[in-house]
Amino acid sequence: MASLLEVKGLTTRVSGFTILNNLDFSIEENELRVLLGPNGAGKTTLICMITGQFKPVAGSINFAGRDITGWAPDDIFQAGISRKFQVPNMYETLSVFDNIMVSLQGRRRVFATLFQRLSGEERDRIWEILEFVELADKASDPADSLSHGQRQWLELGMLIASNPKLLLLDEPTTGMTEEGKRKTAELIRKIAKTHTVLLVEHDMHIVRQIGQRITVLHQGQMLAEGPMSEVMNNETVRRVYLGKGKFQ
Amino acid sequence: MLQSIITQFFSGFSVVAILVIAALGLAIIFGVAGVINMAHGELIMVGAYTAAVVGKLGGNTFIAIPVAFVVVGLLGLIIERGIIQWIYDRPLETLLATWGVGILLQTIIKLIFGPELYYVGAPKIFEGGFRVIGRLPFPYYRMFLIVMAILLLLLVYYVIFRTNLGLKVRAVRRNRAISGCLGIDTARIDMTIFAFGCGLAGIAGAVLAPIKSVSTTMGFPYAVDSYMVLVLGGVGSLWGVLSGGALIGEAETILSFIFNNVIGRLLVFLFIVIIIRIVPRGIFGYNERR
Amino acid sequence: MAEVAVRDDKMMEGPAEKGSGRAKRRAYWAPRFLPLWALIGGAAVIALIGAYPYYGGNEYILSLLGKFLCFAIFALSIDLIWGFTGILSLGQAVYFGIGAYFVALSLKINYALIHPTRYGGKFPDFMEWNGLTELPHFMTPLISTPFAVVCALLFPTLLAFLFGVITFKRHIYGVYCAVITLAESLILQDFIIEYQAYTGGFNGITDYSNYATPAFLWFILAVVVVFFVIARALTHSRVGTVLKSIRDNDVRAEFMGYNVANYRIFVFCVSAFMAAAAGALYAAWVGIVSFLDAGPVFSIEGVIWTAVGGRGTLIGPFIGAFLVKGAEFFLSGTLAQWWQIIVGSLFIFVVLVLRDGIVGSIANFLRARRKGAAFNQVVEEADQKAHDRQLDWSPAGVPADENVR
Repeated sequence: MASLLEVKGLTTRVSGFTILNNLDFSIEENELRVLLGPNGAGKTTLICMITGQFKPVAGSINFAGRDITGWAPDDIFQAGISRKFQVPNMYETLSVFDNIMVSLQGRRRVFATLFQRLSGEERDRIWEILEFVELADKASDPADSLSHGQRQWLELGMLIASNPKLLLLDEPTTGMTEEGKRKTAELIRKIAKTHTVLLVEHDMHIVRQIGQRITVLHQGQMLAEGPMSEVMNNETVRRVYLGKGKFQ
Repeated sequence: MLQSIITQFFSGFSVVAILVIAALGLAIIFGVAGVINMAHGELIMVGAYTAAVVGKLGGNTFIAIPVAFVVVGLLGLIIERGIIQWIYDRPLETLLATWGVGILLQTIIKLIFGPELYYVGAPKIFEGGFRVIGRLPFPYYRMFLIVMAILLLLLVYYVIFRTNLGLKVRAVRRNRAISGCLGIDTARIDMTIFAFGCGLAGIAGAVLAPIKSVSTTMGFPYAVDSYMVLVLGGVGSLWGVLSGGALIGEAETILSFIFNNVIGRLLVFLFIVIIIRIVPRGIFGYNERR
Repeated sequence: MAEVAVRDDKMMEGPAEKGSGRAKRRAYWAPRFLPLWALIGGAAVIALIGAYPYYGGNEYILSLLGKFLCFAIFALSIDLIWGFTGILSLGQAVYFGIGAYFVALSLKINYALIHPTRYGGKFPDFMEWNGLTELPHFMTPLISTPFAVVCALLFPTLLAFLFGVITFKRHIYGVYCAVITLAESLILQDFIIEYQAYTGGFNGITDYSNYATPAFLWFILAVVVVFFVIARALTHSRVGTVLKSIRDNDVRAEFMGYNVANYRIFVFCVSAFMAAAAGALYAAWVGIVSFLDAGPVFSIEGVIWTAVGGRGTLIGPFIGAFLVKGAEFFLSGTLAQWWQIIVGSLFIFVVLVLRDGIVGSIANFLRARRKGAAFNQVVEEADQKAHDRQLDWSPAGVPADENVR
């Protein structure tokens, strides 16, 4: 069975540094994969490459059977990949409602949106998502008035609205309280029931909470991959990532 | 025809020099402080008027240069403290505010000096010229301009890369917050940089005054040209100033010779737009990775 | 959370809160397309201006009214791309000028056919002065004024499209765009001066029949209304929300599937079309067109009217144009040089103090009263952040995460 996302031999160089080095990586449909690795391992760069921000020096990226290497970000989005940034990125002056509305799956081209009106079902879907991310009370407030945690969830809501096949989440719990992180992890687990998710994380507690299969990157290459228990007990992983000593 | 073009190529050196001299001040302000100074042309103009005053008082260009540096530098200080310091974070609005400053400068100078044109002569020792290839006389003053351009480039290089001040300036530019934490007085650096850039514009004015007559509207074309140099060559790089100036100066000279002035400028403009398409940040600017 | 319903926001109902037994409705405020007060106010202003020929007799003021209306359309076009899309174009006069020159040439050519020159030539006098012996062949189609009008609207729009494709597709926004458009404007101005045989050069095109009649005034008013409605529709529709999202965070929009460049090109073309129409109307109304109407000074004037009136408000540019130009006409005579000092200070003042313009400041005040000062501050900061992102798009590094400078 072909994987949903398949990365082969991906190499990329930025400012002379080789960040990804002949990386092979794949995700199956409906997986919730966690991507781990020390700083500089290339996790964010991998996401940048998949979403079309950088062009690789060598290698290819295949998604749902199509070669998307070198595509523009908006085309890759149309193919079904959505990305969440580390720092919450939303539209500050727009209301929370509008943030979701603009991200709804649907037509994106200029003339298509020109005469588009919000349909009843779309409206219902927006409210559904707002309830899901617990922001329904704040629907008409500008997005900038939200707290940090709420912003992270808003961006998650926007991604859900876009209904992608593959969700790339880059450290979505950055800056949250413990409680927030726990709730976010739950949210992600719920999302993963219906979408394929690649989650980049640092926080081990969250990984333990929801991690199924884990890939560990190190210096631009795959260091280990497998079910959580296996990877967490891998000697090399522990040495590289956690330092010598017991895994807590 | 080929000989004429080669002749034009050599005479183009002085055009390159003019562009470099004019653009250096802006390169500092724009490249380092990130301020879009639409009054750059007017600052050059003030420098030229300073040279005119110095001339009337019996001095010559050599005296006018440091005087203009100080005068326009002080003016820059006033502008920076009065207006610029509040809007560093809003580049497009700095553009508008400095355009207003430019209008003010033009009007004030006109009120003081009247609308007539002034003539500033080159220093006596530079009168006359020598013959380059063919029958083209190359005025000594143009030679002086080329030398000035090189000197100014070296001066700026030295200040930015070899002095403590320059080190601090580069640090602030890289990372303002950390520099502040490390004890660098960022406000002072901003002030100094802006004033220095304005001072350079003043020097440009003093040096360029003998070329054309001095009037209140002489500055604007220099400003536009300076921006084009930076856009093409790349912001924040001395090599950018040099390469931008060289390319534009030569292209304009040769194309203006083959066609006419206006078409020459149009072609250079199109040339710049095409280059920008390929290297959006200019030749020596930082480039997109995609 | 029960807020007092404010007149011009329509309350759109969300689904009732689940399960809790309280019949509380969640409210979401969406601004009306055209609130009643705006409709009435707008109609009053239009009536006031349009009826002037009947209650006021001053020819000069009549001519000013028509002129200012054209300037208002010009400012509106600038607001569209600057206030809503965040692109500062310092060369908007290029489109105005091209539109104006096409119409002026056509009218002048037609005038010359009826009123031959001193030497009997049936073509524009400035061409004769410059040594031409007859109307240049490529200009003969301009005898048909309708054709000239079509050209006046089409050429600038195409030019804008070309410009957009060249620059926006390579993510050249912000400062670089401003500088390039400035140069564009200057070059067009130089062109017009240089090729004076075809354009009238320094003197411009003068002495042709103009249309400064009450009927034409109504026509201009009609165009103003139509453009205003179009602009309002554009900014209040789905596409308007997309444009605002692009203005706020173009990186996020791009990764959410929107082709940012295409949207910007689209708005830029619409804006150029409006500016061109303004120019065409201007040429017909005023009877004089010169290189100044295509140059950088006029472009920046338009920007300042928009800034004074209120960027991003649509009515703001209208008010700004009338106020500033009106002040100029009534004050510059008596104040002469000092007027320029006022203008220069106005630029500085608007940037430092009156950042949202007149209409914007009023809107802020009203919103603060309605929703509280804290809310206002949040909106202002958000606005500020959005406008700050007008630095060049930079995909280097992770977008919006660090300051790449």
